[in-house]
Amino acid sequence: MKESVPHKKLPVPLIFSLLGILFVLLFVADILLGSIIIPVKEVFHSLFSTSETNETYRTIILSFRLPKALTAIMTGAALSLSGLQMQTVFRNPLAGPYVLGISAGASLGVALFVLGFSSVLAAGVFTTGAWPLALVAWAGSFLVMLLVLFVSMKVNDIMTILILGILFTSAVSAIVSILQYFSNESMLKAFIVWTMGSLGNVTKAQLSVLAPAILAGILLAFLKIKDLNAFLLGENYARSLGVSIKSSRIIIFLSTSLLAGTITAFCGPIGFIGIAVPHICRVIFKTANHLILVPAVILTGSIVMLFSDIVSQLPGMQTTLPINSVTALIGIPVIIWMIVKNKKFVSVS
Amino acid sequence: MSENNFNIELQQLSVGYEQPGGNPLEILKAINFSATPGEMVALIGSNGIGKSTLLRTLAGFQPWFSGNIQISGRNLKNISSKEVARIMSFVSTENVRVPNLSVFDLVAYGRFPYTNWIGMLSEQDKSVVDEAIKNVGLRGFENRPVMQISDGERQRAMIARALAQDTPVIILDEPTAYLDVSNKYEIFHLLQVLANEKKKTIILSTHDLNIALREVDKLWIATDSGNYQGAPEDAVLQGWLNQLFKNDHVGFDANEGEFFFKKEFKAKVKVEGEGLPLTWTLRALNRKGYQIVMQAEHDYRVVANENSWELNSKSNQKTFGSVYQLLTFLEKHC
Repeated sequence: MKESVPHKKLPVPLIFSLLGILFVLLFVADILLGSIIIPVKEVFHSLFSTSETNETYRTIILSFRLPKALTAIMTGAALSLSGLQMQTVFRNPLAGPYVLGISAGASLGVALFVLGFSSVLAAGVFTTGAWPLALVAWAGSFLVMLLVLFVSMKVNDIMTILILGILFTSAVSAIVSILQYFSNESMLKAFIVWTMGSLGNVTKAQLSVLAPAILAGILLAFLKIKDLNAFLLGENYARSLGVSIKSSRIIIFLSTSLLAGTITAFCGPIGFIGIAVPHICRVIFKTANHLILVPAVILTGSIVMLFSDIVSQLPGMQTTLPINSVTALIGIPVIIWMIVKNKKFVSVS
Repeated sequence: MSENNFNIELQQLSVGYEQPGGNPLEILKAINFSATPGEMVALIGSNGIGKSTLLRTLAGFQPWFSGNIQISGRNLKNISSKEVARIMSFVSTENVRVPNLSVFDLVAYGRFPYTNWIGMLSEQDKSVVDEAIKNVGLRGFENRPVMQISDGERQRAMIARALAQDTPVIILDEPTAYLDVSNKYEIFHLLQVLANEKKKTIILSTHDLNIALREVDKLWIATDSGNYQGAPEDAVLQGWLNQLFKNDHVGFDANEGEFFFKKEFKAKVKVEGEGLPLTWTLRALNRKGYQIVMQAEHDYRVVANENSWELNSKSNQKTFGSVYQLLTFLEKHC
């Protein structure tokens, strides 16, 4: 019999409180910091009173910084939650919306739109704002979701679906490469910029679409907390506990696609958050229970994304870094550290 | 639930699975098996005969081709998966490896069919879980991570999970695979107690035939040439155990109640002695492929004493201090 150490756990409410404080601090910092650093006093004036406000600060905060911070929060929450759900359902620690091909679907939509049409149309893409771009990306990811749903109804084997997702991703990047090869320089740049991801292009009007979609995805995930726990034991056990595998899987996929698809549509493909954050939460909370993990990844994902956003703004400087590079540089070391530290990383279940 | 009699009946059942390409492959056909509450049943058969498929079908995981599965008179097809979860629990061969999952949390999965939409455990649920953990002898292990306990302990935890599910029927696919001998016996004994005392129907598949013959109430035997159900002793008397393997080299010794490997005999040995030394000397010679003879002419004669073994042959006589030395000498000179 191996000696084993019982769990040493910090109380869950304490961890949540600490993360909550960190969340508030980063949220405020994200609004204060940027190319122009805004004094704390002005933030409160802008938010809570109409008089004695510097109009420039007010515009920056309400039209740019606040929507961007809210977008960061929703992006982090959505990608992390969809990653958690995929890892649990596929019982694979490297699963995520990317592996399923949902992001690839979004990319295909954008690539077809930006690169595939005539330059006349493409020129209009960025003058009409990000809306058309977002819609085609949304359509693309939704299409893949339907494809995955269809396959998952025909095929019972979860690994087959995973492999199909990988193959689909490869096929899409092949098509995108061809489109890039035949497109002109300005269209190419527009597309490349989108692939780098951006939290700053989301307007208040777009937020009113983004927010309900993300909330709906989160709600679906909460409804499936119990089933997610059952999936950890594998499909056989889940079924023997009375879980209706197919319908449960469809709702979880719907939630995942809604979360990841919406974010990809509005902010571009933002990687590694979906894989890294659930692992960070498992380490911090030392639990497998989704009743804790679901709110935990929502909070932690928001924190990581707010932090990434602050870094990408390079406070005090005029330029910004692409958010996708920042999340990669933050996420990849976490994943490497996980693999090295925990050799049992190869299976979450 | 226990006021109902959860009799299980497999009537002319044919099971199998869809092959890639859509061709159905029938593996077991015309099965007529049954089990009643308080019975412990072992499904035995050679590798690949379809034991797992039959158990998975019985648990409602996959459809069957023809025939019927009746549970207290109702067709399994007409029972919803939520209701099945309150009638049958399942323990598979799958090794559950979930990081950060404690033994208590694993066993608590058994309460899944009874908890609310978010899976909150009531005080009653918690006491059922504690009781199940106590029943399998894992008290004190509640907070251990399941990744860090031994295979035997994990198998007990999985059985505790099935117990916590509080179903009249428990189905276990090879619950004693990967376990050492003492753990095999303990798991069988534990299941026997559960069947007897809690009047549960326990259906398991196993390759530990020697233990199964001693512990179970009923055998379900699946072979290429037909299926049989009955008390282990009836199965022996009717010669079913000899038909278990297609292999010509393995046979069942009805006198010993054990399986043996048929070997070419090297030499004829007559053994004299009594008690344990005689028994184990016979076993040793048997293992090495010597034919044991009583009165007939022999190549060697061995006298087994308490601490010495005397070997007589036509040419010489020798004495050894252990069975090992005796065998070594025989191997060299035979």
